[in-house]
Amino acid sequence: MTGPVTGIALGVVIVGLALTTLVTRTSFLVAGSRLRLGARIEVALRYAPVCTLAAIIVPDVFMHGPGYDFSPFNPRLIGVLAAGAWLCFSRNIVGCLACGMLAFTLARLYL
Amino acid sequence: MGLDAQHRQLVSAPSARRAAFSAGQRAILPSLPGTAAWGLISGVAMVKGGLAVPWAMMMSLLVYGASAQLAALPLIAVGAPLWVIVATGFITNLRFVIYSAALRPHFANERLKVRAALGFFMTDFTFTLFMRRAQEGTLPAAHRDAWFAGVCSNNWLTWQTCALTGIVAASYVPTQWGLEFTGTLALAALVGPSLTARPALVGAVIGAVVAMLAHGLPYKLGLFCGAIAGIIAATVTDSVAAREPDAGAPA
Repeated sequence: MTGPVTGIALGVVIVGLALTTLVTRTSFLVAGSRLRLGARIEVALRYAPVCTLAAIIVPDVFMHGPGYDFSPFNPRLIGVLAAGAWLCFSRNIVGCLACGMLAFTLARLYL
Repeated sequence: MGLDAQHRQLVSAPSARRAAFSAGQRAILPSLPGTAAWGLISGVAMVKGGLAVPWAMMMSLLVYGASAQLAALPLIAVGAPLWVIVATGFITNLRFVIYSAALRPHFANERLKVRAALGFFMTDFTFTLFMRRAQEGTLPAAHRDAWFAGVCSNNWLTWQTCALTGIVAASYVPTQWGLEFTGTLALAALVGPSLTARPALVGAVIGAVVAMLAHGLPYKLGLFCGAIAGIIAATVTDSVAAREPDAGAPA
């Protein structure tokens, strides 16, 4: 792959992302009753973020370096599992991130 | 001018609006520690993910959406095409379309400018608070726009202060600590609770597997294949579950 996006291109990306925030958040509030949601579309919209984020998170865990890393000693896997285990017992997001980072760091240093 | 509007003009002394605004500012207080931590982490993750400090600040101030920002980071780092990055941010933000539709009836009588501003400054936290109050019937009877503006302003201030702090502080943190991983963890924490619904779980698993299998595709298109496959799988699962009302009953 080429290098990271920088300079003017990065500025364009940031403005583009800002527009997606503006358009999605104001959509129905601004358009009023001229805009309608079909039942099917509403279901798809409801699940779109979860599916997209899963498609980002999981490859980042297993394919961070070159190639796949399905080893149980993968520090990122251990970190995500620890954060997920925390979420089963508490909705506290600060604790969840601390728990995940602690497990990730310990695994990175000692495994 | 309708009766309702006349009445509102008579009773809407500026002091009442100000009182509603500060009531809103107080209402959001309990969730501010979470917003502060999430902002701080996004700030650090943006710089550790490769953005220069001024770009990271600009992104935080203009985009004001942590999940879209964090989702865009790895794509920016590998030099994905611009449209792929923006489209990814767009899909990540699609949930706000639903939020926007849910808020519309509450602000139908406000001016366009007010509706647009309240929409732009809405976030997951402020929307959740608003809808909970609406369900409990504890929204203020008048000046709801001022109340929600109070909610959103405190949330915005907290978020931006902490994100900018994180962006500046990140330069003093060694890269070997791998703090950019907090970005991935934060997204996981956002997704985690919604996985209890079966369609969401099916969509997430299919999305992740397809994204990994299609990883070799150019322009990061694997991410798109994953997202689309996941959305289709979730929609199908949802309609199957709707046709079998007893599916959740104990055997």
